[in-house]
Amino acid sequence: MSETVELAASFVAEETCAHAIEALREAHVGQSRIFSPMPCHKIQHAIGLPPSPVRAYVLGAGISGVITGLLITIGTSWEWNLVAGGKPIVSWPPFIIICFELMILFGGTTALLTFMLMARVPAFEPTAGYRSRFSGDRFGVVVVCDEQQADMVETILKQVGAEEIMRDAA
Amino acid sequence: MAAALPQEVAPSFDEVDRHVLQAFMETPGLAYWAWIGFCFTLVGIGVALWTRQIYEGLGVTGLRQPVMWAVYITNFVFWVGIAHSGTLISAILYLFRTRWRTGVYRAAETMTLFAVLTAGLCPLMHLGRVWFFYWLLPYPNERYLQPDFRSPLVWDAFAVSTYLTISALFLFMGLIPDVANAREHARGWRRIFYAILSLGWQGTDSQWRHFSMAYLLMAGLATPLVLSVHSVVSWDFAMAQLPGWHSTIFAPYFVAGAIFSGVAMVITLLVPMRRLLHLEDVVTPWHFDNLAKVVLLTSLIVTYSYITESFMAWYTGDPIERMTFQMRYFGPYGWLFWLMCFCNCIAPLALFSPRIRLNLKALWVISIFVNIGMWTERFVIIAGSLATNFEPSQWSFFGPSITEIMITVGTFGWFVGLFSLFARFLPIVSMTELKEGIGWLRQALRGQLYE
Repeated sequence: MSETVELAASFVAEETCAHAIEALREAHVGQSRIFSPMPCHKIQHAIGLPPSPVRAYVLGAGISGVITGLLITIGTSWEWNLVAGGKPIVSWPPFIIICFELMILFGGTTALLTFMLMARVPAFEPTAGYRSRFSGDRFGVVVVCDEQQADMVETILKQVGAEEIMRDAA
Repeated sequence: MAAALPQEVAPSFDEVDRHVLQAFMETPGLAYWAWIGFCFTLVGIGVALWTRQIYEGLGVTGLRQPVMWAVYITNFVFWVGIAHSGTLISAILYLFRTRWRTGVYRAAETMTLFAVLTAGLCPLMHLGRVWFFYWLLPYPNERYLQPDFRSPLVWDAFAVSTYLTISALFLFMGLIPDVANAREHARGWRRIFYAILSLGWQGTDSQWRHFSMAYLLMAGLATPLVLSVHSVVSWDFAMAQLPGWHSTIFAPYFVAGAIFSGVAMVITLLVPMRRLLHLEDVVTPWHFDNLAKVVLLTSLIVTYSYITESFMAWYTGDPIERMTFQMRYFGPYGWLFWLMCFCNCIAPLALFSPRIRLNLKALWVISIFVNIGMWTERFVIIAGSLATNFEPSQWSFFGPSITEIMITVGTFGWFVGLFSLFARFLPIVSMTELKEGIGWLRQALRGQLYE
């Protein structure tokens, strides 16, 4: 039975890292995980995943903020029917301001919370293949594959310009 | 030893990290702690006087009928205004992918958070019975009493607390990748501190995918928020029927003034900070050149607003409105009005000169003028308009007491002290975003973007 190995390659530039991801996708080998010190459109494009679903949750939270604003303003106005300055009890224009602020508050907090949930942070254990330089000045591609495929993966990574390749048992 | 990089590609990611990390990872010296001690001594004096004010009542201030809003509310509007440039630079310019924001946005965003924290304290200082501050918020109570949502003061409570929350979350979120980077270089207690603050971030593709989307949406939400908050603050005045306050141009006028004063404060803080923390290679004259252009643009908008406001006072034909503005120009506070015009309208015109925009000493002096001018503007609008209300027999002019003066000085100590603490223990320049725009930074360092 063949064993699984982990190849961790580091890259100096995001372009070469993106090329490596594309080359590995074309070769249909193993599963890869990418590390980068900054958000990179080229890498995200090479990975080819759809946009994060965080936006759907933020939309929902924004709508619930508006509804909460309406419930608070209309509900509390009806609770104590105090006419002030001859204005209607339910005065829509000023209530819109409260709804707007709560939309932003709910949407913003949900953006952070859903990001944390989906990105799995806080993380208490390092992700397999992580190197400290991947938070600083290097891009990393970590491939988990069969031992038979490892040489081919290594060749691909070298061909696209990997600076360093390390092989470990997965 | 790694070979030196060719000059044409410097600085590398590694060099960016080195410049920024050294600014906050080195142990601060005695001078730094003396400065922090000085700032918080001012805070201590302010707190002592506030405590006395709470004990003895608002009689220790200079507040007398008809001027019942003066220094504390001026401070509130001033500090909320200061906060605005941070969100402008971090959120609005992020959405527009403005190139020069990368070197300065973290400092501006940090300034936003501490300015809103300071602003939030000012209305509390203004309360006679500060322990009832929560009456502004809706909560279940035995008498079914609720805040009046038709009142601009209640809008303010919602707007400012939302702004504080969102600006804190936005700052925290942007810090995560940078603090993770710091974690990898730190030792001892700093490593533990940065590890907790970075939430174990490792920059995987999945983490960046969700981060980028959440950050973009946060910026998208913060953009209308920043415009709404100072509009709401302006409606505290504009919704009242007082001559000098009751004006439809207040919202855009206040927003422009807020950005004007905020960007000036960014310059005031960044010029010495850049030198003291040796950040010359990441915060370049190109960044200051662009900040100065924003100051110039907003100065022109503010000048236009002053002219419009005065024109409308004349054009209405309302004798009370006309008298208010006549008193504003030539009354007991007239010298403050002309000081404000010099600081906000005349002094920034020097920024039309590229030489002055790139001369950091001159730029710093102009930014101080703008800070003084914008505080004065708020005082003239608030206290000046109240002093000359509808009934000349009630007219009375306000003079601040030592309590108000020292509490105001204390707010500056609080703001600058917190900012100084942040700058020495957390990344005050975003390494992540500098790397994203490394090409522009390289061009800026070679002077290609502004010469």
